[in-house]
Amino acid sequence: MTPRPTGTDVLPLAGIRVIDLTVVWSGPGATVLLGDLGAEVIRVEGNDRLSRQVSAKVTKETIAATGYHGGTYPDKDPGARPYDRSAVFNWHARNKLSACMNLDTPEGRQALLELAAVSDVLVENNSNGVLAKLGIGHERLREHNPRLIVASMPPLGFTGPMSDYLGYGPNFNSLVGIAAMDGYEEREPDSAGENYHMDEAAPAGLAFAVLAALWDRENTGNGCVIEFPQAENVMAEIGEYFLDAQVNGRDPIPLGNTDPHVLQDVFPSAVPQRWVAISVRDDRDWSALTGVLGMPGLAGRGATAEDRRARSKEIRRRIGEWCAGREPDEIVGLLRRSGVPSAEVLSEPRVLSDPHLAERGWFRTREHPAVGTHAYPGHPWRSEDFALCHGRPLPGFGQDNDYVYREVLGWPEDRYADQVARGLITDHQKA
Amino acid sequence: MTEQVLSGIRVLDLSRWVAGEFASKLFADFGADVVKIERPGEGSLTRKWGPFPGDRPDPERSALFLHLNTNKRSLAMDLRTEHALLARLVRSAHAVVESFRPGGLERLGLGPEVLRGWNPALVVTRISAFGQTGPDRDREASGLILQATGGPMNATGQAGEAPLRKPGLLEHYTVGRMAGEATMAAVLRARRSGLGATIDVSGQEVLLAGADRRASYLLSAAYSGMVAPRGARSPHRHGATFTGPFRTRDGFVMVYVTNQAFWNRFVDLVGAGDPGFRDRYRDRQTVRGADREDFLDYVARWFAARDKVPAMEAAEAARIPVTAYLSVSEVLAHPHFRERGAFVSGEHPRAGTLDYPGPPWRMERGYALRSTAPLLDQHGAGIRAEFGAPDDREEEGVA
Repeated sequence: MTPRPTGTDVLPLAGIRVIDLTVVWSGPGATVLLGDLGAEVIRVEGNDRLSRQVSAKVTKETIAATGYHGGTYPDKDPGARPYDRSAVFNWHARNKLSACMNLDTPEGRQALLELAAVSDVLVENNSNGVLAKLGIGHERLREHNPRLIVASMPPLGFTGPMSDYLGYGPNFNSLVGIAAMDGYEEREPDSAGENYHMDEAAPAGLAFAVLAALWDRENTGNGCVIEFPQAENVMAEIGEYFLDAQVNGRDPIPLGNTDPHVLQDVFPSAVPQRWVAISVRDDRDWSALTGVLGMPGLAGRGATAEDRRARSKEIRRRIGEWCAGREPDEIVGLLRRSGVPSAEVLSEPRVLSDPHLAERGWFRTREHPAVGTHAYPGHPWRSEDFALCHGRPLPGFGQDNDYVYREVLGWPEDRYADQVARGLITDHQKA
Repeated sequence: MTEQVLSGIRVLDLSRWVAGEFASKLFADFGADVVKIERPGEGSLTRKWGPFPGDRPDPERSALFLHLNTNKRSLAMDLRTEHALLARLVRSAHAVVESFRPGGLERLGLGPEVLRGWNPALVVTRISAFGQTGPDRDREASGLILQATGGPMNATGQAGEAPLRKPGLLEHYTVGRMAGEATMAAVLRARRSGLGATIDVSGQEVLLAGADRRASYLLSAAYSGMVAPRGARSPHRHGATFTGPFRTRDGFVMVYVTNQAFWNRFVDLVGAGDPGFRDRYRDRQTVRGADREDFLDYVARWFAARDKVPAMEAAEAARIPVTAYLSVSEVLAHPHFRERGAFVSGEHPRAGTLDYPGPPWRMERGYALRSTAPLLDQHGAGIRAEFGAPDDREEEGVA
């Protein structure tokens, strides 16, 4: 079905079409990776829902009334099309196409089935069972196209006593044991607040799973269903603690910024609200650190890993005293030259102006009529052999309706015009 | 042996730490032949990390190594000298994963041009803290430093307190999973085009691109100058949101009320016997000042009088996202994960029989625990017999 590509800049997913039914964070974070690899990612968005987490009705006034800062919009202004202007959506929108399709209507579901017939992959992260209830579950989709790979991301899986539980990333972090070990040193785990790590973990795993399924399809000719329970995917990241619990009968506790093997912490600098992280991994780091600090009597207090463990608090207090009188750039500069791992905890403006990232060209400046010209976050990795895609920074809502309905689906003009006239297909969001 | 989706792929794992080992674990668990190349007599750094039974170090019983190296084969070999054997392995492989400091592979005489010279379709995945180029290339790092320079750490923790890292070794796993994805993408490309690739995975950039809000915070900053504050609940959102942890009699729950429907259900649940409370808070978009303080106190008291699991179940019955903080041992024993087979039992000659975290996702012919982690050089003789010419050792002066 897919022509064999040639040439030195060929992309891994050239010729692959992906239907993106994802919302919120983890799902869109997965499909953006597929677009980076050259897939044609078509977001299917209903004009009757908040497909982008943003209501069409948001205004500067409603924002002010809720006390929200509005900082996710350019110049804090949601404008006439807030759903095209929100960083909550646009961070993952590069390379994606947008087609308006209301899955709450029979016409929209029929269009989706037709799109599935000419696509390679469908990714969705609705609550468990939502698509099946709409009559477009994975069996039905795969009947329409046996080569289709359907990837579903139910947080707790298709089956099991908790499979229908509602929740977001921080909820499922708590159900798999991560929240209980997150927090400041010697404090309760609720001291951590919220942690969105489950959302962070899903995208690359889902993309790997889709790539593996595409690899397999080259052998078998068949697509498949991928059940991607996000909670179980992130659970792998604390695998060593599951073994430890069985062997030693203990559960991990919050360690704050410390570590069982590395002497480390985050220290306030002389500049308010600017913090510095320092790690001492081994004797070499220790010797370099104490050389820089030059504090009398300090070197002997932590000569061995055992000393540093036993006197961790005392040593960290002294490092903190040294940091408190210095600017962060001085601290990091001195330690870095000595090979001690150290860094300022970077706020967003500092990342945006970071010289290393600038030299690597990580941010990409992109222009779009809906938002203007801005620096966009770059790719998670790169290759010197092929360039990942970073084209149009976002699709305006429904911006690719014509392409999807006329060219991809090949609809006759009267059918398309009829659904446009009935407001089923629009270039704007109503909800 | 049952065929799996990645059967027939071979990956050489030259890494010694979490990211590289997790990247190649994804391949191994789904059927690939992953040969872990370890330093003779010492092995991977994850063998030294633990946790260990009784906290007594034993390179064959480190929980971190056991977890990260399921389904792999171990070959102890000296990368400084045994290049003929490595060349034969590379010719049979789809990918090499390495995480030496930038330039380390070149110093061994094994730069990507050498490896890809042996096998033009090879994918070479290079994992480092800051990437293979740029002024920070040679900068030393730890997991904490990666989180400080790449993660959303400036916005995590409490207002007025230090930025707080994520726990455990999560950042290394995150980098490793992305390195695995990059490798799989390039291996698929090689199959479709015959072309190999060298991949540069900067841990910092993986984290900066993250869906844990880092990328969206960065774009918000570019759009409006917003700096995500520490300790604020959900700085992105507005209107009827009420989120965060609460203490129960026996632990904690995470409340995640994000819209008007959840809000009203939540007000109805905690104010079930209190019409005054429900009237005061139902349909509210925003609660501020004394209203907010009163609401927080009320909710805190409601949770404090209950146990975490019954509180979660009551909220779930009312369709409100509230979940209990489960400990690792509670997760291990939980009927949901048990019934689903989320943990898979495996027997190891030194570590005994343990339940390992099982499939991260499910697909036909997907995850299987074919073998537990290898002993150091467990497969050395077999691999040498398969790939080594009889005179290699003499030729290379290895005794």
